[in-house]
Amino acid sequence: MLTSAVSRSDKSTTKIMSIPHGERLRIHLMNQVAVLMACTMFGVLVVIYSSFRGGVFSLYELNTDAATTVPLLLAAAGQTIVLLRGGIDLSIGGVISLTTVLAATRFPGNDWSMACWIVAVVAIGGLAGAANGLLISLLRLQPFLVTLATWSMLAGTALIILPTDGGHIPDGWTTAGNLTAVGLSTPVWILILLGLFWCWFSRTRLGLAIRATGSAEKSAFLSGVSLPMIDISTYCLSGVFAALSGLFLVTQTATGSPTVGNDYILPTVAAAVIGGVSLFGGRGSLFGTILGAAILTVIGNLVFALQISSFWQPVASGVVLLIAVLGSSLAERSANREGI
Amino acid sequence: MSFVRNRAIVFAYIGLAVLVALTATISPGLLRPSHVGTLLILASFIGIVAVGQTFVILSGGIDLSIPWVLTSAAILLTKFCGGSDAALAWAAPTVLLGGCAVGAINGVGIAIFDVPPIIMTLAVNVVIQGLILVDTSGAPTASAPSLVQFSAVGYVGPLPVALLVWAVLALAASVILSKTALGRYLYALGSNKIVARFSGVPVIFMTIIPYVLSGFTAAMAGILLTGYSGQAYLGMGDPYLFTSIAAVAIGGASVLGGSGHYVGTLAGASVLTLLTSLLSTLNLSNGALLLVYGLVILLTISLSSEEWGNVIRRLPKNQSERDADSVVHSEDRTL
Repeated sequence: MLTSAVSRSDKSTTKIMSIPHGERLRIHLMNQVAVLMACTMFGVLVVIYSSFRGGVFSLYELNTDAATTVPLLLAAAGQTIVLLRGGIDLSIGGVISLTTVLAATRFPGNDWSMACWIVAVVAIGGLAGAANGLLISLLRLQPFLVTLATWSMLAGTALIILPTDGGHIPDGWTTAGNLTAVGLSTPVWILILLGLFWCWFSRTRLGLAIRATGSAEKSAFLSGVSLPMIDISTYCLSGVFAALSGLFLVTQTATGSPTVGNDYILPTVAAAVIGGVSLFGGRGSLFGTILGAAILTVIGNLVFALQISSFWQPVASGVVLLIAVLGSSLAERSANREGI
Repeated sequence: MSFVRNRAIVFAYIGLAVLVALTATISPGLLRPSHVGTLLILASFIGIVAVGQTFVILSGGIDLSIPWVLTSAAILLTKFCGGSDAALAWAAPTVLLGGCAVGAINGVGIAIFDVPPIIMTLAVNVVIQGLILVDTSGAPTASAPSLVQFSAVGYVGPLPVALLVWAVLALAASVILSKTALGRYLYALGSNKIVARFSGVPVIFMTIIPYVLSGFTAAMAGILLTGYSGQAYLGMGDPYLFTSIAAVAIGGASVLGGSGHYVGTLAGASVLTLLTSLLSTLNLSNGALLLVYGLVILLTISLSSEEWGNVIRRLPKNQSERDADSVVHSEDRTL
């Protein structure tokens, strides 16, 4: 009797432990439904685009499209990390503006001192982010409000330094942003580096801890994750990426603008969400965000290729964003109903 | 008067009092009756937009579609009227209903299709922006009918008309929040959606209503603002996204929902307006203004944080006690 009881309990444990293989695949697909939708959407858009314009599948097209996508993508990479943590970062816009303004007014022609300034600018972005993280974790303030306030402060600082668009970016830096190596331009290399960064970062202790904290804060804490450290490093990374985004942006525009960052805040969220990053934390990856940013770029190209008013571009982006979110929320709901 | 017990709202009024005292010492001219009238008109635009934003935030959402609902209301009104007062009789209700309809779309997406409020209202904002731009091709529209201009800058006796509109809306909002079942439902929903559903709150209906109201107040502010500036122009609503959220936040509401009151938002709208005027009399640049805005928001939300006690208490403790504390806190936070 005793043995039978033991064997029965053994059986039930093994039953819980091992989920059938097909079922596991299905759960995996359910989790990836947003990414799959984004892939489909991207494919459809590219096919439509290529039917309107020749030469879409060329290195030249890749290089120019990467140049328009990368400023958004670098900022969206930071936003993705914050969203994975379950927060949101509006101060990205302020950091980008401040970076372009500093680059346009302070960058000297001399290579050595320029390198110092670049490090300084990235450090400013990181510090601003760390301040966000500190306030959010220490005083338990809402990320939306804290970053709204710091966005305003950073944008204000940018406006004080440079009241209108202008300034000058040293030629040394603009050429660095437009080099070509092995047929691929700088932005394409940045794209590749971002991909490699994510392969590495998502497996690091910090990357895992951020994702874990985003999906279940309490469990993460009980597993030994230091919440203030996670918040500070999450927002710090976001600030660093925003600064990098600003630094790349000036190589394309060659001027500083105290307001340019404001146009990046919401598209970063949109790119991440279209790419399947959940606003509730814990779910998504940078590859999804890359896909989302690419979709937004293709929409812009498509509006241009169709020769309709460029005012249709925001309409199209908004509709795509809604479709993406509706799709993933419906999928999530059916997943919940099945108890996955 | 339960809102007196809300520390954050009391802070907002203390802040307002300090600001008024500061204004009286730095530039007393601003508090002359003629200026106060203008200040109140300016405050009423923020205050009216913030009625809707307060309701939305109390319900646990956020409305980012305000800027272009406001702008499109203004542009469509001037377009429908073409400068004549007669057309106003049907144009104004149409525009207000349009605002409600946009709000309803927001609400349905959020309540029925579970789209996160930030994304839903953001997408709707962008879509309206695009449609208005396509419609007007970016050109300015006809000037506002004189009746609309009167409603914004005119006076009834000693009181500006816009202020009266604000007063009516503010009173209605406060009564709804404090005295009606609708208000109770709203707080219940904002504090905890699941508990609210099990307590018999009509969750879907109560999620949609705040957005409809917010669409209405944004359109109302759009109409008044057209009258104030004499015409409608693209981007006229853009500042009101920031100011409406800031007014609610300074007024002590929690962005997570369930806590706050329109009485606080009143102080928030007044603080923002007075601060703007005070800083512009000091000849500060736009940049400095933004810097101070950010600082004020950061200060108010930091000061009203419930965590100060814990931050101070936590410092001299030993490790195990600290850990026990944090577990409790992380529970607070997830709720």
